[in-house]
Amino acid sequence: MKILGIESSCDETAAAVVEDGERVLSSVVASQMSMHGKYGGVVPELASREHLRAIVPVVREALERSATRLPDLAAIAVTMGPGLVGSLLVGLTYAKSLSLASGVPMIGVNHIEGHIHAVILEARRAGAPVEFPALALVASGGHTHLFEVRENYVYRLLGKTRDDAAGEAFDKVGKLLGFGYPGGPVIDRLAPHGNPLAVRFTFAKMKGNALDFSFSGLKTAVLRWVETHDLEAETAVRRAFLRDNPAPTVEQWLSVTPQRTLDLVASFQHAVIHELLTRAAASAELIDARSLIVSGGVACNSGLRTAAYASRLPYPVHFPSFGLSTDNAVMIAAAAFPKLARGEFSGLDVGAQANLTLA
Amino acid sequence: MRWRNVPKYRTASEEETIALGERLAGELPRRGVVLLIGNLGAGKTTLAKGIAHGRGAAGHDEVSSPTFTLIHEYGARVYHIDLYRLDEARQVATLGLDELFDRDALVMIEWGERFPELMPRERTEIYLRACGDDEREIEVREVKNASRR
Repeated sequence: MKILGIESSCDETAAAVVEDGERVLSSVVASQMSMHGKYGGVVPELASREHLRAIVPVVREALERSATRLPDLAAIAVTMGPGLVGSLLVGLTYAKSLSLASGVPMIGVNHIEGHIHAVILEARRAGAPVEFPALALVASGGHTHLFEVRENYVYRLLGKTRDDAAGEAFDKVGKLLGFGYPGGPVIDRLAPHGNPLAVRFTFAKMKGNALDFSFSGLKTAVLRWVETHDLEAETAVRRAFLRDNPAPTVEQWLSVTPQRTLDLVASFQHAVIHELLTRAAASAELIDARSLIVSGGVACNSGLRTAAYASRLPYPVHFPSFGLSTDNAVMIAAAAFPKLARGEFSGLDVGAQANLTLA
Repeated sequence: MRWRNVPKYRTASEEETIALGERLAGELPRRGVVLLIGNLGAGKTTLAKGIAHGRGAAGHDEVSSPTFTLIHEYGARVYHIDLYRLDEARQVATLGLDELFDRDALVMIEWGERFPELMPRERTEIYLRACGDDEREIEVREVKNASRR
């Protein structure tokens, strides 16, 4: 049984065909596509207009690469929220049209549930299925959530960010230091070159729900540190460097970044990782979790992966492959399989929901 | 540009900034655009939290930073927008802000002052400045005829 997945909730237009909830037959993400050189990754796939341009070729390519015709599909899965309404509508409206024209039923999927299912799919394929109850940490540029995931995919929200998302903190600190935006990946590559204990960042104790996150204070603390340590000149050098070299290597970044700043970068990354893993582990303990799922763009962070594996948690830790960490449509198709089995189809009157919650 | 009443406030903690937002919610126009202006960590999202709550549109924990997602909707009457990660007016134009400005709603925008040509000429501007770790200085200006450059 094949499901076509369609995702357009934020920056990426994506489509994928997945078979039986575990075999990925095709996965296309517009910003990574080279067709016509038009989507070379230079233009950010932004808002509805960009999705509108990409949706038809991306879906067509996903079907072609998997040698799938519409009547072969058991369902068409599409992200219905959360996200930007204008962007969601492009994918949702196209999915409805395909469904109406082909008679293939449609299944609306929550984007965050998709991130969780990216991991469940890969774990199953690797022969080490996720055991339940699982604790899921979904961390990206837009989300930072902790969910309990029970058998049959029943979710309970345990904690979330009260201000900035974890990925957002990475990206903003990166930009602040002149590494461009988004700066998360650069920080991850430079962090191993600094001392993670050089600058001690502390987190205020959470009032209310102790499992909630807050990354705004850390961002502000980095800003204060930068202001009081005369980093303006070197930051200006890096900004100028980036203008001349759009994609610097680690060695190039190291040549324009003093050790003290590398120590700051390492300390910042250490603080974020520590915060994510401490609350995830506390949540996992609370629900007697039998596995930990980490997903979303921040799951690409190699420091987070290393720390999670090194912390000797009493249950297996599952990360998605890099391609399925960031937004994609495989995860949307994957999340639709249990719904297909339960006959949970969406009517053509279903709307995009900007604030859709999972639990 | 003409300014009307320029109230200035000082808050000593995040909680006080939220409380100020709740108070301002009652004084801000029912519909219109509010630019939240200040550096990283100045308290823009924190104040937005108070304003959205004061309008009865969202609980405190429902309001978070829209930097990545660009637009957060709190009910039908309050929008919270963040243009931080956009660099060009062309990108902002694809968001369809004009359509939001026409709604019967309060539209709060972070980093909107970077695109003056796309902002309505009549608006409220709230300036936030950090003066110490927790203290913030917050100033509210009614702008009647803003320059578009």
